[in-house]
Amino acid sequence: MMSLVNVNLGNVVKKQYLFKLRSYVGVFTSLVVLQLIALLFSLGGTGGGGGGSGNFHVMINYYSGDVVIIFTILWVFINGILITTKAYREDDFSFVTNRLTNNLSNILFLLTASLVGGVTAIASGILLKVIRYFFFNAEPIITTFSISTIEIIYGVLATILYVFLFGSLGYLVGSLVQLYKKLAIILPVAFFGILFALASRDIMLVEGVGEFYFKETSFLLFTVKVITTSGILLIVSLTISNRQEVRL
Amino acid sequence: MNVVECKGLAKHQGSVKALDDLSFTIKEDTITGLIGRNGAGKTTLLKILAGYWYESSGEVRVFDEHPFNSLTVSANTILIDDQMSFSNSLTLQELLQEASNFYMNWDMELAQRLFSYFNFDSKQIHENLSKGKKSTFNIIIGLAAKCALTIFDEPTTGMDAAVRKDFYRALLKDYLAHPRTIIISSHHLDEVEDLLEDVLLINEGKRYLHLSIDDLKEYAIGLRGKSAIVRQWLNDKEVIHSQSIGTDRSYVVVKNDFDHDRATRLGIEVSPVSPSDLSVYLTNQKQGGIDDVFSKREFR
Repeated sequence: MMSLVNVNLGNVVKKQYLFKLRSYVGVFTSLVVLQLIALLFSLGGTGGGGGGSGNFHVMINYYSGDVVIIFTILWVFINGILITTKAYREDDFSFVTNRLTNNLSNILFLLTASLVGGVTAIASGILLKVIRYFFFNAEPIITTFSISTIEIIYGVLATILYVFLFGSLGYLVGSLVQLYKKLAIILPVAFFGILFALASRDIMLVEGVGEFYFKETSFLLFTVKVITTSGILLIVSLTISNRQEVRL
Repeated sequence: MNVVECKGLAKHQGSVKALDDLSFTIKEDTITGLIGRNGAGKTTLLKILAGYWYESSGEVRVFDEHPFNSLTVSANTILIDDQMSFSNSLTLQELLQEASNFYMNWDMELAQRLFSYFNFDSKQIHENLSKGKKSTFNIIIGLAAKCALTIFDEPTTGMDAAVRKDFYRALLKDYLAHPRTIIISSHHLDEVEDLLEDVLLINEGKRYLHLSIDDLKEYAIGLRGKSAIVRQWLNDKEVIHSQSIGTDRSYVVVKNDFDHDRATRLGIEVSPVSPSDLSVYLTNQKQGGIDDVFSKREFR
């Protein structure tokens, strides 16, 4: 008789995480493509206005990485859903796994994706200003380059947290759909239905929720809010997928 | 030690009972053939053993653990079937490398030898392989993983006859070198019977027989002779299968629990029944066969 192999949870999660970094390369190549597209969109300016009187005329254009961040958030949301689908989930089940390690390594992967997404999104914002400055220097540019390092660090951290929040939301949506396939139709319809129904009564759901997370001025409080919310979303995902049958 | 123990195992899928009150045990270091008709519950049983599906009721133990969500069971069990999913972004060679990270007893030398013997291209992607090639790659994973419980569910799907033969030979050689518990489900009992030690025959989700292959070969006997004589002879015997040959002769399969000489003296030919034929006869729902479907139509 072959002696039984003993494995521990941490070890399996680590192996699966490294496996995912190697086999989910498509996730990162799609990020590069999306951020390039977003950058291209942003080159024309992400906002602006102008005015003047007499011979005096002012045009203001804003160049920011906001579009890149929005693209990155959509990217992580969709990939959060994607890694819960049959094709991805069952890759794990060809090797050593259980549902807990599968979820934990997915969460670690999402965290890594958020890290990469957040850092590159902010870097793209800076790159945008550099490109604008060196290649389109028709107009004077007032840069916000001089912001302090600590501000950039806060910016990066906040972006990572936003991206992770939406990644966790995508993961929950994906797990729900895996539990009950018809939710793939019900969820978006219900979401937009409720949104419009509330809007017609002057209750702005998105703005309300947005204010809670995006208008938070204390960085610490913001971090707590995002991490708590992501934690809840992920624990719910973990619970509902713990009896998921595979290779159906 | 028993590697697998099932007691009153049941699995409902909607209103269908895929498994129904199934009880059996499988000892360590045996090769067991899981035999049954389409829809008998073979795949359902194997997926529960591998921890992919959970049971509706009853008890199932693999290495004395409940397999669903057990890491120990997952690390020591591998289920090879045609639904195995592998990443599209990794080549076949990279997949072997990944498998070796996960399975502690992985035998890379064997994997590489089989890989080149079956003419795989290192750069190929699993999804692009033909059906038979996919099955062949999967069995390489199954053999090289050297899991204490190795399960093959219809492993030869799509393989040509030569590769099927090679696989059975490889399986036997590897089993002799590294004894472990192997369960293999197959429609082709005649192909695997030389390999098997035990046969677990299931029908409609229930255990029908669990015998050693030698006992199964002796289990029944075929009688051939004049219908009138054979019928007379049969009065108290358990008939497993009967079919008429021509107008006045019959072939009947009965349980092998009597003295053959008396039958021979009456002019009845006595012949052994192959395990493969026997398992088909045993699991036929009704008397008769496909011929009756058509003959009844002709009378209308």
